[in-house]
Amino acid sequence: MSNVRTHLLLCTGGGCIASGALEVGAALREQIERQGLQGEIQVIESGCLGPCAVGPVAAVYPDGVFYQGICPDDAAEIVEEHLLKGRVVERLVRKTPKGEAVPGLHEIDFFQKQVKIVLRNCGVIDPLRIEEYVARDGYQALSKALTEMKPDQVIAEVKKSGLRGRGGAGFLTGLKWEFTRKSPGDVKYILCNGDEGDPGAFMDRSVLEGDPHSVIEGMAIAAFAIGAKQGYAYIRAEYPLAVQRFEHALKQAREYGLLGKNIMNSGFDFDIEVRMGSGAFVCGEETALMTSIEGNRGEPRPRPPFPAVKGLWDKPSCLNNVETFANIAPIITKGADWFASFGSQKSKGTKVFALAGAVNNTGLVEVPVGMPLGEIIYDIGGGVPGGKKFKAVQLGGPSGGCIPKEHLNVPVDYESLTELGAIMGSGGMIVMDEDTCMVDVARFFLDFCQDESCGKCPPCRVGTKRMLEIVTRICEGQGEEGDIEKLITLGQIIKDTALCGLGQTAPNPVLSTIRYFRHEYEAHIRDKHCEAGVCPALVRAPCQSACPASVDVPGFVSLIAEKRYAEALALHRDRNPFASVCARVCFHTCEDKCRRGSLDEAVAIRGVKRFMAEQEVTVQLPDVRDSEENAKRKVAIVGAGPAGLSCGYFLARLGYKPKIFEAEPRPGGMLMQAIPAYRLPREELAREIRMIERLGVDIETNTRLGRDFTLKSLRDEGYEAVFVGIGAPIGTRLGIPGDDGEGVADALHFLREYNVRGSAPVGKKVVVVGGGNAAVDAARTALRLGAQTVTILYRRTRTEMPAYKEEVDEAEREGVRLAVLVAPVEIVKKNGKVAGMKCRNMVLGEFDRSGRRRPVGGQDGEFVVECDQVIAGIGQMLDPKQALDGVEVKLSKNGFIAVDAVTGQASQPWLFAGGDAVLGPSSVVHAIAQGEKAAVGIDKLLTGAEHAFWRKEKTVDAFFDPDADPVQYGRAKMQLIPVSKRKHNFQEVELPWSEPAARREAKRCLRCDFRAPADVEKE
Amino acid sequence: MAQRITSPKDLKALQEKAKADIDLRSGQKDVRITVHMGTCGIAAGARDVLGALIDTLGAAGVKNVTITQTGCAGLCDQEPMLTLADKAGGSFRYGKLDKHKVAEIVREHVQRGQPVAEYLIKV
Amino acid sequence: MSVEAQVKCTCGEEASEEELLARLDGVLKEYRDKPGALIPVLQIAQGIFGYLPEVALKKIALGLNKSYSEVAGVVSFYSFFSTKPRGKHLVRVCLGTACYVRGGKRVLDTLKHKLKIDVGETTEDRQFTLEVARCFGACGLAPAIMIDEEVHHRVKPNKMDLVLSKYRNGDAPVAKKRRT
Repeated sequence: MSNVRTHLLLCTGGGCIASGALEVGAALREQIERQGLQGEIQVIESGCLGPCAVGPVAAVYPDGVFYQGICPDDAAEIVEEHLLKGRVVERLVRKTPKGEAVPGLHEIDFFQKQVKIVLRNCGVIDPLRIEEYVARDGYQALSKALTEMKPDQVIAEVKKSGLRGRGGAGFLTGLKWEFTRKSPGDVKYILCNGDEGDPGAFMDRSVLEGDPHSVIEGMAIAAFAIGAKQGYAYIRAEYPLAVQRFEHALKQAREYGLLGKNIMNSGFDFDIEVRMGSGAFVCGEETALMTSIEGNRGEPRPRPPFPAVKGLWDKPSCLNNVETFANIAPIITKGADWFASFGSQKSKGTKVFALAGAVNNTGLVEVPVGMPLGEIIYDIGGGVPGGKKFKAVQLGGPSGGCIPKEHLNVPVDYESLTELGAIMGSGGMIVMDEDTCMVDVARFFLDFCQDESCGKCPPCRVGTKRMLEIVTRICEGQGEEGDIEKLITLGQIIKDTALCGLGQTAPNPVLSTIRYFRHEYEAHIRDKHCEAGVCPALVRAPCQSACPASVDVPGFVSLIAEKRYAEALALHRDRNPFASVCARVCFHTCEDKCRRGSLDEAVAIRGVKRFMAEQEVTVQLPDVRDSEENAKRKVAIVGAGPAGLSCGYFLARLGYKPKIFEAEPRPGGMLMQAIPAYRLPREELAREIRMIERLGVDIETNTRLGRDFTLKSLRDEGYEAVFVGIGAPIGTRLGIPGDDGEGVADALHFLREYNVRGSAPVGKKVVVVGGGNAAVDAARTALRLGAQTVTILYRRTRTEMPAYKEEVDEAEREGVRLAVLVAPVEIVKKNGKVAGMKCRNMVLGEFDRSGRRRPVGGQDGEFVVECDQVIAGIGQMLDPKQALDGVEVKLSKNGFIAVDAVTGQASQPWLFAGGDAVLGPSSVVHAIAQGEKAAVGIDKLLTGAEHAFWRKEKTVDAFFDPDADPVQYGRAKMQLIPVSKRKHNFQEVELPWSEPAARREAKRCLRCDFRAPADVEKE
Repeated sequence: MAQRITSPKDLKALQEKAKADIDLRSGQKDVRITVHMGTCGIAAGARDVLGALIDTLGAAGVKNVTITQTGCAGLCDQEPMLTLADKAGGSFRYGKLDKHKVAEIVREHVQRGQPVAEYLIKV
Repeated sequence: MSVEAQVKCTCGEEASEEELLARLDGVLKEYRDKPGALIPVLQIAQGIFGYLPEVALKKIALGLNKSYSEVAGVVSFYSFFSTKPRGKHLVRVCLGTACYVRGGKRVLDTLKHKLKIDVGETTEDRQFTLEVARCFGACGLAPAIMIDEEVHHRVKPNKMDLVLSKYRNGDAPVAKKRRT
C-alpha cells in the first residue's frame, strides 16, 4: 500500500464540471505539490455527489469533511489549512439556515434522509478505475449469478424484489425479463435506455458518469437471465462524458474478462456496444429506440408485437433504463428481501430524483419509494428559497403533471402519483413557487412535445399543435371562453389515440395544470391577468401585475423621483382611491414581485407611497365622466368598508350617484372598526372617505341590513343593482370547554368595541389565540389599553403565521409574548370567570391541505397559562342566511357569496358582492379591487357596455435612460417611533421619510414598464 | 494488461487488493492518530513526524489506523506532538517527538497495544 | 476505435475536402458490414466535416448501399445532425419575460443586423450561430445573452460589437460542450 493518508474526492459530475471542477482539480494538485504533499494526499475525480447547485463540491476522507462552492483560488487555503494543518476551512463548508457550519458529510441534512442503492458508488469511487468498483463488491453479483444460479433463479429473485422499471412506466422488471426469456428464438438482445431526454432529469447521466460498471454488471446479469449475448447501450449524444466513461469501463471489463467470451469460465458470452442518440426525444420510447439502433428514423412502432417477442431486428429484446440496471447487482448480492425492505407496499426500493427549480438544495437525491413529497422538498431540498410561497411540483417532465400544495403529503410511489394526475416518470422533480405561471409551464412542455413529435401519427402531430396554439393564445391574452373545454377534449382524444407513449402523455401537463390551477387559466382568458407576472403580453410590470387593484406602480414611483407628487397621487387614485390608507396598511404584493429584488432588495414601494400621501394638502378629485342618464339610475351599496366605498367611488366616476348604507355610526368598515389607529390614523381614513362623498356618493350611517332594510325592500324601492360589501363580521368561537366564560371575547368584537365606542374591557393578563392580523391587532391594542401581560398562542410556528411579519415583529418589540406550537385545550374558570388557559405543546407533523405542516399534540403534557381574559382571533364568518334574508344566492364552498371573478355579479343578476363577504377574511387591497370590478360590472348591467376609462394604460413621461446602470445603493428602512413612546398610546408607529430619502428610494426602481420607443411603434 | 478473472476466487483476490486503495473512505478504524500541525508544531518538526508516521505504518503494513491532523493544542513547548485515540475510547498524548520515538510508538502502542509511558505528556 | 473517439470534432484542423472525404471512406469501410451502421457513420461524418454536406451524404448512401432519400430522411429526423455549417460560437439571446420587457428583442434585432443572419443561422465566416432561448435565471440584470457557456448581463445594443469581437479574436474561451 502507498503512504497516502488522505483522499480528496472531487465531484466531476456534469454539474460540477460546468461550475469549474476541473480547474479546481488542477489548482488543488498544484498546491499539493507546492506543499510537497503529493505522496500523502490523493485527488480523485469521482462521480456526482448530489448537491449540484453548490458545486464544485468535494469530500475529504478519512475526516469525512464536505466542501462546496470551491473556486480555484480556494485551493491554496484547503491544502495549507486542512490537508497540511488539519483545520477545516469553515468558509467553504455547508451552513445551517442559522449560519452554523456543518463540516461533516454525514451530518448534512441533504444527505441524512437519503438511502443510496443506485448511487451507492457515485461520489465514493473513481469511475475510471474498475478496481475501486470491485473493491466495493463490484461484479460479485455477476459472479454469483454465473456460478451459483440458474437464469430462472435470477429472474425469480428480481421478481421477488419487486423492482419496477425506473424509466417511467413502472413495469415489473422481473416480469419483463421472464417474457423475453420465454420468447422463442436463439438471438436475443438486452438494451439499456440512456436516452434521458426529459428536461430537468439527469440521474442516468450521473450513474453513467459516476458508476458505469454498475450498469454494465446489471446488463450482464440481465443478459444471462434472458439468454442474450449482445447488449446495446443507447446513450444520448449530449452526454459526451457519459459515453466516454462508459466506453472506458467497457474496455476495462473486457480486459478483466468480465465481458467477452466465456465469462468466468461459465460458458456465458456477452458484450455491449454503445450507440449514441442523435437528439430525438421520441427515441426514449422503447420501440423508437430500437428503430433508431437499426439505423432508421426513430419512429415508434405499434405494440403488439411487444419487444419481448419482436424487438431489435425483430428478435426478442428487453429494454431497461440505466437506473433499473444499477439496482440489479445489489438485489442479487444482498437478496430480494433486503431490497424489498425499502419502499412502500406496491413500490419497492429507492428512486433517484433530480431536484430542481425553486428549492434551496437542488441536485440528485435518492430516497425510499413512498417518502412523502413534502419531506423530499423540505427536509432534503431545504424548502423554497427567498421566502417565496410554494406552489406546485412538476414530476415526470413533458409526460407528467404537477402536484399542488394540497397534496404535499402524498407518498411518492407509482400509484399515488398517477392518481393525482402526475407520474413518477424518470425522476425529474421541478419545484415551482408563486412566481411560476402554470399556463406558461403547460405551454413550455407542449412546445417541447410539439417540437419533438416524430410526426408519424396525426393525433400527436396535429393534436399537440392545436393544443399549443390554444395555450399560446391564452398566454398572449387572446384566450376565449370555451378554450379550457377545448383543451380538455383535445387532450383526451390525443391520450386515447396516439401511437406511442410520447403522444399519449403529451397532454398531461396541460390536463394536470387545468385540474389544479383552472383559476389561472380563467384569469388569463377572462381577466387578461397573469397572477405570477410571467406572460409578457399580460404583464406590463410585475409589481403592477401583482397589485390586485392594478395600480401603476412604476408610474407613480418614477413621478415621485421627479418631485411630481400631485401627478403621482392622481395616477395612484386612478386605480385605487385609498392611496393614504394603503400607504399604511397594504400588504404590498408589489414588493414581493419587484424585479429589483433579484438584484439586491425590492424597492420599498409602500414607503415611497407613504411619503407621497404625506405631500397632499387638499384632496384633489379624480377624473369624472358626468352623465345625466347614469345619475338617474338607482344603485345601492350595502356596507361602507373598502369594497363598498371603492365600488361607490368608481360608479361615481362614471356619473352614477350611488347610495351606501352603513350599519355602524361611522363609515370605513374594517378600516375603522378593526385596524387600530396606531397603524391607520382615523383622520387619514376620513379624508379619503370625504373625497368619495364629494364625488356624489351618499353614505347613510346607522342603517343596518336586516334591521332597517332588506335586499328585497331595496328592490321594492326601485334600486336596479345592489352591491353587498358587508364583510365577514362574525368571529369564530374557540369551540373548547369553557369558551362561554366571563372574560372570553372574539378579536373582532374586542377591536370593534374599542375603535367604535372608545373603550373596551381589558384584563390584566390577556391571552390571545390565533396567528392572523386580527389576533396581533387585538394583542397590541390590549397592551395599549393597560394589560400587564399579553400572550399570543399560535399552534404552528412563526413562519406559518398569516399576520404580516412587520406587525408580529413590532408586537414582540412592544412586549407581546409569542408562544408558538401551543394549542388551547380548555379555558379554566373560577366562579364563571376566566382564570387560565390550559394549553398543550404541539409539534409539526404531516403536510396538510394548505401545504403547511399540521400541528399535532407533542409528547409533553399540558400546562396552564394564568389569565383573566381570552381573546380569540382564529377566523371570521358571514351568516349569509341572515344577511341575504330570503334572497336566493349561490354560496361558495366556504359559505361566502359566490360571484363572477371578473364582474362581481352574484347568481342573482342584479346582485353584486365583493370584499370579505366573498373572499372570507382578506386584505384591504383585494376588497378595493373587487369594488372596482363590481362597479364596472354594474355599469355594464345597466348600460350594456364597459366604460372603465381608468383601465386604459397611461404612459408616464418621467425620464428614463435604459442604457444607464441602476443606482447601486440598497433599500431604505422604514422609521418607527421608539417603543417607549408608543407602548401606551395609539400614536402612529411608522414615520414618513424625508423628501431626499423618499426620492432616493424611488430612483431604485428598474422601470420594468419602460418600453423602448422602437418596440412601442411596432406594437 | 489486467489479469483475466476466471473464477469467484480471482474476483475476491482482486477485491482484497483493491480494498486497501479505498480504505481511507470507509470511515472509522480502530486507531486514530492526530498529529498537531499548528504553526508551532510545524516549526518544531511536525511535518517530519507526520512523514515518519506514514512511512512507519506503511512499512509495517498496519491498516487499522486513521491519520488526521489538527491545530495547536496549547502546549507549544511539547511540540511536535500527536494524540492517539484507541478503540476503547482511550486518548493518549505524546510530546517532543522525533522519528525514532514515532517508530517506537507504532511498534509498541499501535501494534502491541502497550502505551509508551516515557513519551506521554504529563500534565 | 470507439465511437466516442471518432465523433470528436476535428473540423478545427485544416484539411482539404478531399482529405476529409478520404477519411470518410475509411470509416465506411470499417462500418460497411455492421448492422445499423447508418447513424454511427453519420455521427462520425459530422465530426469530420463539422456538419453534413451533401457530397458526404451521397458518399454514405453509396457506401452503405442505401438510397439517398433514406439517408436524407434519417438526417432530417435527428436534431443532432445539421446540413448547414454551424458556427464556432453559439450566441443565445434570452427572450424570457424580464429580458423581453427590458429590450431582449432589440438586442436580438441588433445581433441579426450585425451578424447578417436570422435566428438558427450561421455567419458566413462560420464564427457565430444565433439562437433564442428562455430564461437563464439572470432576470435582475436583464437583458441577458449567453455566448457558448458564458452569460453576459445587461447587454446594450451599442456595445454588441465589442462583445462579439472578443470572441471573434479568440480571447474568450471556446465552448467546452455544446448542446443542440
